[in-house]
Amino acid sequence: MRDEENYGDLARLFAAEDAKLEAAPFTAGVMKRVRRQALIRQLTVGAFGFLGAVIALLQLPELLSAFVGVDHTVTSALALARTEINEAATSNPMWLAIIIGASLSIAAISMTERA
Amino acid sequence: MRTDPDLAHAAAKGSEAAFAELVRRHQARVRGMARRLTGSQAQGDDIAQMTFLAAWQKIGAYAGGTFSAWICTICWREFLQWRRRQKMEIAFDETAEVIPFDRPFDRSASQTEDRMDLARVLDSLTEAQRVCVVLCVAAGLSHREAAEATGWPLGTVKSHVLRGVAHLRTCLASADVA
Repeated sequence: MRDEENYGDLARLFAAEDAKLEAAPFTAGVMKRVRRQALIRQLTVGAFGFLGAVIALLQLPELLSAFVGVDHTVTSALALARTEINEAATSNPMWLAIIIGASLSIAAISMTERA
Repeated sequence: MRTDPDLAHAAAKGSEAAFAELVRRHQARVRGMARRLTGSQAQGDDIAQMTFLAAWQKIGAYAGGTFSAWICTICWREFLQWRRRQKMEIAFDETAEVIPFDRPFDRSASQTEDRMDLARVLDSLTEAQRVCVVLCVAAGLSHREAAEATGWPLGTVKSHVLRGVAHLRTCLASADVA
């Protein structure tokens, strides 16, 4: 026999006392506080989100102007790389083979690697 | 009828209705436990409210098992926090023969017939016995669940329950005779 079964009579006395407690007002009180907490959290998150959005909007013009510079840099770097690869390949075709080998190896690793 | 784990799962997804049903089902047990631990109806109900608010925030962490044991463990922690806030924290003494902290005994409640005998007899137990009796006998936790909730050894919980129950029986029997 489980030890817990030795005091079933006393447990029933306590349970009878607890059963007299009214559930509705208490439950309503708890749920009211739950909703208030959720509202406060939503307002806080919303306010911080709005603040972040405003700051981001203010930074947008500067970001776009910087992006034009970045875009130009990337384009010119790519064009330069292509020229340099062509030059390297014409001077020594071995470079081209090394680059192709390295690219294939990286591609194979990326395809077989799991996240 | 939906089971407690089902309701807890729904509540974890944000269903307030499911959580309200859990509160309705377990409020009596939790309020009774908190009232008996504090010795006060008002403070017991405050702790019970804090317990359910904490449960709402942590409902995603409920990993199945007995929901009543889970909620009673939260209630026990809320009670300890309340006691710390009351600056009544004292070193726990298992051998103490008297109640080691002064509980704000609710006179108005003690005068009602329903509460009288059980509340009085519970107050005559040592703190450790009262805690173990409240958790195991009144709240219906198993000895193992009570040991996990309090962090006390299983054997200690069992012996406190055994002695507490024996004392309760003696006192209630003598009250009946009188």
